[in-house]
Amino acid sequence: MEDLQYVILKRERFHDFISRLSKMQKLVAPVSKGYHHFAFEEVTSGNEIALSYIPTILPLKKFFMPQRETLLEFKTAKGTYAEPVVEYEPMTIFGAHTCDLAGIQCLNMVFSERPKDYNYLTRKNKITLIGLECNAYCDEHASCHLVNASFPSGGYDLFFTDLEDYFIVHVNTQTGDEIIDIIKSFEKADMSHIKELKRLRDNKSKIFSNEVSIERRHIPELFDMSFRARVWKALEERCLACGNCTNVCPTCYCFDIRDELELNLKRGVRYRVWDSCQLEPFARVAGGINFRKERSARQRHRYYRKFRYPVDRFSRFFCTGCGRCTRTCMAGISLKETLNELIKESEDRVWKKWL
Amino acid sequence: MKKPKVGIFDFACCEGCQLQIANIGEDVLDVLGSIDVVEWREVMSEKWGKNLDIAIVEGSITNPHAVKRIQRIRKKAKILIAYGSCATIGGVNGMKNNFNLDDIRKYVYGDSYRFFPTEMTKAVHQTVKVDYFVNGCPVYIPEFVAVLKAVLQGVPYYVPDYPVCVECKLNENVCMYDRKVTCLGPVTRAGCNAWCINNGNICYGCRGMVSNPNEKGAQDVLAKYKIPMDLILNKMNMYNKCRELG
Amino acid sequence: MEKVAIKDSSYRLKKAKILQTKKLTANEKFFEIVLMDGERLDHEPGQFIMISLLGIGEVPISICSSPAKRDSFDLCIRAVGKVTRSLHKLKAGDKIGIRGPYGKGFPVRILEGNDLLIIAGGLGIAPLRSLIQYVLDNRRDFGKVHILFGCKEPKDMLFSDELEHWTKRIDLHYACTVDRADPDWAGNVGVITTLIPGVDIEPSRTFAAVVGPPIMYNFVIKELIAKGIPERQILLSFERNMKCGNGKCGRCQIQNLYVCQDGPVFHYEQIKNLSEAF
Repeated sequence: MEDLQYVILKRERFHDFISRLSKMQKLVAPVSKGYHHFAFEEVTSGNEIALSYIPTILPLKKFFMPQRETLLEFKTAKGTYAEPVVEYEPMTIFGAHTCDLAGIQCLNMVFSERPKDYNYLTRKNKITLIGLECNAYCDEHASCHLVNASFPSGGYDLFFTDLEDYFIVHVNTQTGDEIIDIIKSFEKADMSHIKELKRLRDNKSKIFSNEVSIERRHIPELFDMSFRARVWKALEERCLACGNCTNVCPTCYCFDIRDELELNLKRGVRYRVWDSCQLEPFARVAGGINFRKERSARQRHRYYRKFRYPVDRFSRFFCTGCGRCTRTCMAGISLKETLNELIKESEDRVWKKWL
Repeated sequence: MKKPKVGIFDFACCEGCQLQIANIGEDVLDVLGSIDVVEWREVMSEKWGKNLDIAIVEGSITNPHAVKRIQRIRKKAKILIAYGSCATIGGVNGMKNNFNLDDIRKYVYGDSYRFFPTEMTKAVHQTVKVDYFVNGCPVYIPEFVAVLKAVLQGVPYYVPDYPVCVECKLNENVCMYDRKVTCLGPVTRAGCNAWCINNGNICYGCRGMVSNPNEKGAQDVLAKYKIPMDLILNKMNMYNKCRELG
Repeated sequence: MEKVAIKDSSYRLKKAKILQTKKLTANEKFFEIVLMDGERLDHEPGQFIMISLLGIGEVPISICSSPAKRDSFDLCIRAVGKVTRSLHKLKAGDKIGIRGPYGKGFPVRILEGNDLLIIAGGLGIAPLRSLIQYVLDNRRDFGKVHILFGCKEPKDMLFSDELEHWTKRIDLHYACTVDRADPDWAGNVGVITTLIPGVDIEPSRTFAAVVGPPIMYNFVIKELIAKGIPERQILLSFERNMKCGNGKCGRCQIQNLYVCQDGPVFHYEQIKNLSEAF
């Protein structure tokens, strides 16, 4: 029996595959930036790619909603003549981990919700996504299993699993199938390959387990009782409000919109840039009142936007367990630690109720 | 629209920020084409002496003569732009404020020091009202252009009040602290697009400090990275000593 | 990088022209605006628009006229930021860009057949003016209508000629107060809550619509509840920073609600447990 959805790529043909892929359209993949840091950057050969990498400094959202993107082009002389535009670049992303694929799935939901964001949706349709399985944890900061992102569940065109001598590749879309057809480096997968993949997944199930001692379905409940928890107050003293945690988060999408004129003041653009709820001016109105003035309120807001609010709106967590916010935080604020402390504090409270 | 009459003036500084105008690159003609420069000691011999639409002031205020001169410029100019670290935050000239003023005069001028009056170094806004700030040592040209456009449009320019880390992260730099190097990015105001770090250097804090830093948190971070407090204070004071004057 | 035009972009601007402006106070200016190309705004009382000055920016502003006035609409703009200060420099004939209307306004279908207690603090009169005008345009559909208005000083009073007119109507109960009087002021002095106990209402069939500065809400709501008005019959409108109006940019979020899409008008019952709301 053969499964048409699976093909294999022998390891010795990997470089050949990458260079052919890079000739089809712009190809980006994880590359090393030194000091155990990685970034998705343009590549043309397999040598440049870090196949074993921990989540990159910035997640894939930088390609789907660029840090700066033009929304309108206008001429001031004509009063209100303004043309909405979208800028995009067709590209293939190779090597996306399941956490980052989950991040894109979250953004897709947000920008497809009415009123739809055609800037995002247009660009998204020009990007081909090739996933790469994590056979083990990247490091101790990941919490992907807690949020159900440790195993592949869609959101890609092709998905690679490294089985040492070869990669087994799941073909999920027509676009993925066309790549397989054009590049011709692949072979059909047979039962033994499928079995080996299953063995790896079984083994993974033993390695990956809830990184925080709570069942997934109880998380919304935990947050329902934690709005006034002491945990947030403790973050007030530690958080530097640098916005790193939101900039590196695969599902943070808040933005600012600004205008810029050319020096002749005759032509200009309206553009949007990434913004962060952690920065002081974010929730401040022109009159001066700031609706989330304390750093603790801003940190709490970030956690609720990952674990509570999207559950109502999109029926899923907006944390993908990638661990970036923890790795990047200078003050050492750890997502896993915060969750553990919330659990502990809520247990104390439940316990006290019984005394 | 009539081009605004612009005067460019310098006080205690290295004049490097004025040189940056020459480094604007392909936009230089657009910039100089949008204004009418009537006085600029560094490149022209004419003195204007009349009222100005815009005064661009580089340098810090360091002696009684400078105080009088900046007051005269302020009176003549509709808009005053503090240009470069020395003007916006006092900059490296502020290091003078670490010492007794008479000691400094003796050290510099020897026996005749009495003929050379001096004062505590001040940023321009600590002496006269400033309408726009272009921070940086030297100024970051894209920000100067943005400020100039705001002036021409008649709208305010707000210097970002968040740390350089924000822009540094967007440039996907490896954090200096992860490279075991001390950097002032976390306490310094953004707006420079993390120019220095993008080019492999650390942040020296030349843009002044964010207005509401979490001091306790910052101290914890320094402790975590085993950085002595006085080392960081010395680094901050290199550009930011004048902040103590309020 | 490729670039194409997108005709259904949610950032597309409708062209609009200023018909007239009028200075209301030192800080507030009135604008009457008409959409060009024969378009109509077709809003509901309490909704807002995004108003654009190309090259300067875009801000959310409440619509302060009744939907019954179909060919143009009114705004009352306080000069507080970069865009609003620049808007104040505009005059009749100048062109601007408009997006919207946005948000959920006052649920007028639900209000019909009930008594109304409308409470405005300062600039809060602007969004409420759209409701008041709507009610006056359809006066027969509503029961008793009370309007309470408070501002800091007599010179801050917006739409004073219209307020004057309201005092004369027999189908309105109108009262106003100022925090600080001036020598010419003969009316009430004190915060707006002082007017509430004196209002004669049947709480079970009265809806309260409250708009004012954030500080006002807690005090007013307390008085209204003391008066016996059920929580779901108290309506509030919120002001927040907004960039997109589409429930995306995150600025206006109050916990799990977006003021731009889920509001700006909320039932008190809906938001009373949201600590970020007040």
